Amino acid sequence: MLIEYYPSGSYIHKLDVRTKCLGFLTLTLISFIFYSPVINLLLVLFSWFLLFSMSTPLSRVKQILKPLMPIFVIMLVITGFTYPSVNFHSEQHRKILFTLLPGGLLAFSLGGLLYGLTLVLRIFVMILASTVITVSTPIEDILQLLKKLKMPHQLAFVIATGIRFIPTMQKKSEMIQEAQRARGSEIGKGGIVKSIKSYIPVLIPMIVDSLRMSDNLAIAMLNRGFGAMKTTTDLYEIRMFPRDHIICAVLVLIIIAALWARSQNIGAL
Amino acid sequence: MTAPTERGSIFADILRYRYENGMSDTLNKLKLNVARGEFVGLMGRTGSGKTTSLMLLNGLIPHFFEGEFEGEVYANTMNTSRYRVQTMARFVGLVMQDPETQIFGITVEKDVAFGPSNLGYSKEKILGLVKTSLKAVGLQGYENRLTAELSGGEKQRLTIAGVLAMEPEILILDEPTSELDPAGKVEIYQLLIELRKSQQVTILISGHDSEEMLHYTDRILVLDNGSIAWDGKPENLFYNTTITEKYGIRSLEADGIKQKNIIKKDRKNTDTNIVIESRNLSFKYQNGYPALHNINVKINNGEFVALIGKNGAGKTTFSKHLNGLLRPSEGQILINGRDIKDMTTAELSKDVGYVFQNPDHQIFAATVREEIEYGLKNQSLSDDVREKRILDALEFVGLEKFKERHPFTLGKGERQKLAVATILAMEPGILVIDEPTTGQDWDNTQKMILMMENLHRKGHTILAITHNMRLAEEYADRIIVFSEGKILHDSVPIELIKNIQGEINAN
Repeated sequence: MLIEYYPSGSYIHKLDVRTKCLGFLTLTLISFIFYSPVINLLLVLFSWFLLFSMSTPLSRVKQILKPLMPIFVIMLVITGFTYPSVNFHSEQHRKILFTLLPGGLLAFSLGGLLYGLTLVLRIFVMILASTVITVSTPIEDILQLLKKLKMPHQLAFVIATGIRFIPTMQKKSEMIQEAQRARGSEIGKGGIVKSIKSYIPVLIPMIVDSLRMSDNLAIAMLNRGFGAMKTTTDLYEIRMFPRDHIICAVLVLIIIAALWARSQNIGAL
Repeated sequence: MTAPTERGSIFADILRYRYENGMSDTLNKLKLNVARGEFVGLMGRTGSGKTTSLMLLNGLIPHFFEGEFEGEVYANTMNTSRYRVQTMARFVGLVMQDPETQIFGITVEKDVAFGPSNLGYSKEKILGLVKTSLKAVGLQGYENRLTAELSGGEKQRLTIAGVLAMEPEILILDEPTSELDPAGKVEIYQLLIELRKSQQVTILISGHDSEEMLHYTDRILVLDNGSIAWDGKPENLFYNTTITEKYGIRSLEADGIKQKNIIKKDRKNTDTNIVIESRNLSFKYQNGYPALHNINVKINNGEFVALIGKNGAGKTTFSKHLNGLLRPSEGQILINGRDIKDMTTAELSKDVGYVFQNPDHQIFAATVREEIEYGLKNQSLSDDVREKRILDALEFVGLEKFKERHPFTLGKGERQKLAVATILAMEPGILVIDEPTTGQDWDNTQKMILMMENLHRKGHTILAITHNMRLAEEYADRIIVFSEGKILHDSVPIELIKNIQGEINAN
């Protein structure tokens, strides 16, 4: 979800961005139509396997998931207590594990716990599956896709330029921090108020510099003929190969099969 | 007058131009005439109107910067007030100063293609233009490299390629070499000479370096107070000290005194106390790139040391170890005889002052006074001492009268002096000054050098990181040459020159 393009050249990298989006849709759809945590766990494992097979830096993925953990625990607890146990189909899932208050109030049901688990796993599926796309797809392909969906090319340009300037701004902020540290400032140290205040000498030069840069950028755009013509030429176009068509067909079959299975009450709670 | 008819020519007749909210006219009575295929240098003090006059030539003035404009400009026979800048861009290529804000692509190929794809050329034509432009600037094979990972010199060449890809008749460059090391400068000029030869491109280039201008241009225009004050062949300019002095240009006549200066240089300020010592210092960046290998240096109290070497040779990396901005991967740094391993940069700031190249990376306060006070707040000083230090620092750099001014209203030379004053007020014994003369005009270069001389006389140990060989030869007690993370030479200037000459002879 938050990881940038990582060119490892795996088989997924070679797929068209549209195929990958359909794959993402398939995974999310399946995870949403089935309530069973077992099926969702399988989807998580499958997404994890995809990332692993693309030689993604998995430690980075873990970094993204880690801060979400407290939220997951809260979700489990809340759904466990609040989901009415009468809603579950099977007797087993209606079982109350314990109650917090006497008189059957705030009952924690097994079904609620499992449902909470499903919700958490669904989030996992979406994060991991979207990471599969961002890791394997250069930003140009995604912009091309948006363009095919009739996004104006000016907006695509803004997004691409924004991404291009991330490393520049990072470097600027490092240089400014170094300059202020050399003057004896201790950035980010001390109590809350003091540490927030310590960022002012970094923020102001950063803002002033950004304003100057945005003016220069506007000039440079004109110098390069931005807006000379109504349309611009694209160097590359995204393309569907036979393998993309095959995979898309398989994905559609999987979706149909999943819908049929759901109608047979498989994977319910 | 009649409009010029020769393609690639420039004609300008400006009565006056004033920026919106400008206090005075930036240009007045400026006349300019350049023929096709000429290679013209534009010189003059900072603030004399060089950048402004270059921005006239593709219509950025009056279209982007509106202001008050009276006059006419024809570039490539086109009246700039009648065409949009984007249309002019096809014929007049303008490369501005900061390469960073002129790169749009994530990869080199995408960036060079940006111009021609804005012109709506076919894909095949664009790919061909990308290839020839990259070849022209010596970046062939760089197509898929990420632009963020290029060096300063490569970025500069990329910006030129981006403009060349639009096949301009006129190429205008605003100080394209000011940030580059000597080798990088030569590369840019050779590329321009080649371009003119092969494609008859008209070239107009601004800059401060007299030697470069003498070697490469056919003709020099000197701007002063917004109009052309001198126009002629470079050889008639640089040896005429009356004219060069008048317009703040470095004369090449004065070079004869150089030898005397070196001999004159005494080392009376130096004593035998070692204030900086690095022991087996090695440094690797997080990505594993080795930047310094086994550096052993001892610097005595009161020495004036010039650190020279190509961009990326390790000068700055070494210097940032002295105040703990970087920490050694291996080895030790001793400041005033003490291992600084456990000292923070804030603690070290009392002993080692570091003046960075770009003053705008540190200026944030609302007045000059507050700006200087900031560094002192981190030291526990009484009000009287603090006040005295602020005044002393201001007086030393000559900014007393600007005490209550807003720093951003000062000129670039003054902002740099302010940056020096902020460090000076903290009274560090050691001063590291990063590229003090880079991008400065000759007046400011002289002022900066004079200031460093005075600091040295006051007893500071000075480390100047510089590409300015003149500064190194004439003012430093000692020159340390870095190359690929190692120390190549470490000697007094006169010996270094002998050494290098010896090496050249040996080759």
